[in-house]
Amino acid sequence: MKGIASTVGKFILQTKLFWGLAALYLVGIFSSPVNRKGLNIFLEPGNQSDVLRQVSNNGIIAVGMTLVILTGGIDLSVGSMMALGSVVCAMLLTEQGWTNASLLAIPILAFVCVFLCAYLVPLIAINLHRGSAKAVEKASSRVRWFSILLGVILASLAVWWTVSQLKTKFGIVGVLIAVPAVGLVFGAVNGLIITKGKMQPFIVTLAMMVAILGIARLLGGSNMAVHPVYTGTNATEDFDILRALLFQVIPVPGIFFLIAVLVFGFVLKVSTFGRYIYAIGGNEQAARLAGIRVDQLKIAVFAISGMLACTAGVLYTAQYRQGKPDAGAGAELDAIAAVVIGGTNLMGGRGSMTGTLVGVLIFGFLGNILQLRNIDSNTQLVLKGVIILVAVLLQEGQLGVLWKQIRAYLKVKEHRREIVAQSRQIEEVR
Amino acid sequence: MFPPIEQTESSNHLALQMRGISKSFGPTLVLKKVSFDLRAGEIHALMGENGAGKTTLMKIAAGLIDDFEGEIYVEGKQHRMASPRDAASAGIAMIQQELSLVPELAVDENIFLGQEKIRSLFLVDRDQQVRAAREVLSPLDFHGRIDLPVAKLRVGEQQLVEVAKALVSKARILIMDEPTSALSINETERLFQVIRKLAKEGVAIVYISHRMEEVIAVADTVTVLRDGQHIGTMSAKAASRREIIRMMVGRELQEIIASGKSETATRKPVLEARDLWLENPLPTSARPMLVQNVSFTVAAGEILGLAGLLGAGRTETLEVLFGLHSGTSGGEVRIEGKEIHLLNPVAAKAAGIAFVTEDRKRDGLVLGAGIDRNAELAVLRTIAAFGIVSADGELELAERTIRDLGIQASGPRQLAGTLSGGNQQKLVIGKWLLTRPRVLLLDEPTRGIDVGAKVEIYRFIGTLAEQGLAIVLVSSELPELTLLSDRILVLREGRPTALLNRAQFSPETILEYASPGGSVQPAFAGMEFAQ
Repeated sequence: MKGIASTVGKFILQTKLFWGLAALYLVGIFSSPVNRKGLNIFLEPGNQSDVLRQVSNNGIIAVGMTLVILTGGIDLSVGSMMALGSVVCAMLLTEQGWTNASLLAIPILAFVCVFLCAYLVPLIAINLHRGSAKAVEKASSRVRWFSILLGVILASLAVWWTVSQLKTKFGIVGVLIAVPAVGLVFGAVNGLIITKGKMQPFIVTLAMMVAILGIARLLGGSNMAVHPVYTGTNATEDFDILRALLFQVIPVPGIFFLIAVLVFGFVLKVSTFGRYIYAIGGNEQAARLAGIRVDQLKIAVFAISGMLACTAGVLYTAQYRQGKPDAGAGAELDAIAAVVIGGTNLMGGRGSMTGTLVGVLIFGFLGNILQLRNIDSNTQLVLKGVIILVAVLLQEGQLGVLWKQIRAYLKVKEHRREIVAQSRQIEEVR
Repeated sequence: MFPPIEQTESSNHLALQMRGISKSFGPTLVLKKVSFDLRAGEIHALMGENGAGKTTLMKIAAGLIDDFEGEIYVEGKQHRMASPRDAASAGIAMIQQELSLVPELAVDENIFLGQEKIRSLFLVDRDQQVRAAREVLSPLDFHGRIDLPVAKLRVGEQQLVEVAKALVSKARILIMDEPTSALSINETERLFQVIRKLAKEGVAIVYISHRMEEVIAVADTVTVLRDGQHIGTMSAKAASRREIIRMMVGRELQEIIASGKSETATRKPVLEARDLWLENPLPTSARPMLVQNVSFTVAAGEILGLAGLLGAGRTETLEVLFGLHSGTSGGEVRIEGKEIHLLNPVAAKAAGIAFVTEDRKRDGLVLGAGIDRNAELAVLRTIAAFGIVSADGELELAERTIRDLGIQASGPRQLAGTLSGGNQQKLVIGKWLLTRPRVLLLDEPTRGIDVGAKVEIYRFIGTLAEQGLAIVLVSSELPELTLLSDRILVLREGRPTALLNRAQFSPETILEYASPGGSVQPAFAGMEFAQ
């Protein structure tokens, strides 16, 4: 019996995060007001899909943040990155011809095409040639030239197609290719400065957060605080897909979020890339000494984080019908909070994408519950802060250590008191 | 549980009592109910092999480890040592094995760190500090300048500063952990005079050392620990060298040393290193070069030992070979005749070099990951297709490593951090053997592991040499070095001073060439020491 109890206990302890989410969900059901028809508002499909829609932007950023934090880094620039994404997206959608946005996005897109081909094709070729290192070495220079050529062809195609789009305006496909490419490059710049300049991620991404916000404002011209996007009038209609509901319930941004979780969760679990991320976060020096290209991997991770943040910017534009340089204010902190609630260690090396999914949902449902109860937004902030602290305290298991220390301290106090009492007794006897 | 013992009026009262001290790091119990008594005015040597728990026990006394079981009494009163501050207020000071000086601060500033001499309000009285520092340092035979940053001193002098730092704290209980590991023979002798004088004044001294001769020369009492247990305490005069070794090792030394080295000089060299050098990253230091003029060859199946005191540049030499200091280091390195560039670990790995680092926890393992994840780390590409790791391949690698190295584990997924020191070390070696290296660099391969695992690793290193690996071995334990090596290259302050063959191996010879001011073989005399 005891064995069963302890296994069950262990199971609950390991999955406590899910129980937390379940408990929160129950709180949601029971605390929810009831509408006129007598239905629970919290449980309404509309409300549930609303929560998914609301969390998806934060969620997509949190996916990238999870990768960064797992390597032991942090990315504070994601909020500004999202704002940049939303501004570039809105401008591409609404303005014809060569604008600041297209001048930025099209060269970057061409560069990304060449670079990714030159980098990824040889990797695939090496995997095809597995087993014979000599053959790979021989083939490698030919493969490299071939892949660069392929990249150039692809890049010219991309440029030709995007420039042809400029005559009218960018459609949904155009922005979904061009804007993430911008994020990829800015993220890679983050990683480059951090690894080659041997600087702290905190400082570098803090500086980039400020700088990118400036870039986002400069792009649109200083007198343009908001770039409205009205599909059907000043932008193509197909962009509306990004704010649609699939089967009337599943919001499209939510699908983007879930796909990001699935893809990068899979990458973390089974790929060499994922293993290296955990190894770097767990012990960077050991990883470096094992002959792992730590710098390259870190740059890739920051690039992915930037790419996802800019993708979130596109979704923001669709959702709020505007591109806005202030779109991402505080987004980096929400993402970090969700990742940390999900049990990912800020020191790196420990955590999972499922954790982040749950963390994002906890954050989302909490906001939803408080909104349904009509709780003052300032009180909401306080409650959110408390929830973050409690969640992390539970996750890290620091409560136990704290308790142990207090107990040890009390024990010594008691012991001293006993000694004093004893010596008094002895004196009294005398 | 353990009543405090009444304080007697004799001069040799108990200054420190530790009762039933237990401490575990994760699942490994490093101290098992150890009791330790220290009398005022005695020099008490604490002996034991690496990993026996000496340093841990003393760190507990000095408040550097606060999470332990057991009780501590200072002068008969119970203390809870939760921080170095508690220990200092109880009159305990510790000279730690790792130097804990601030390199950019001057000698006197280091000595009085945290207890600065104050002139008025907040101003530090440097003049008085320098004077006081000189007073403490001159009996220690210290000749360096006191107003210079300690980074400009050689390691031996830094160690003296460390000693001085403990002396000015006016501690009644002084713990010294390997204080002589970088000192010359003269400096050691002067240190002993100071220690004896302190003891006469009633200070209780704990002296941790490996060097048997030192202990017998200076100590009054000897306590031996083995595998975290108190084995025995005796008077130093009554104890024989042989008996102490038996207590430390648990069996006669001869049993362990199973020799029988084959002659390897005729074989072809695998590793040739010429004129390795490494710049000192600290620009203010007295030594602009950490490694200089180091050349050697290692044949297939040969084990070359690198000997030297703390700071002699042994580890740094290995790091240069592995490409860890690209840009600030250089030299010509050939493997099987082919020149390689000391660019980075990736290149070194590709060239067939494997590096088992000194600190397996810091540099060798991802402690929070399983055996499987650690074993595969250097060869992950080989079990992956299109970036997806094969689960079968992973399991196969982990099981092969566990089997070949004889790692005791509950399974391939056990976390590396929960393995014992010996098994962790096997895992690091196993990880590197999976890369099929030609050259194996071993840095302190048996540091902090128990005797049983040590013997297993010795045998394993022997087998690897027989299989034709060229091995470079760094070890601070002379018995280990003389047991395993075919030849020994002695380094002193970054330069080679002697190349010894097996017939010339003896602790005395090695120490003579390793100590500052000692002799230099004619072959190396050309590269004189420019100070």
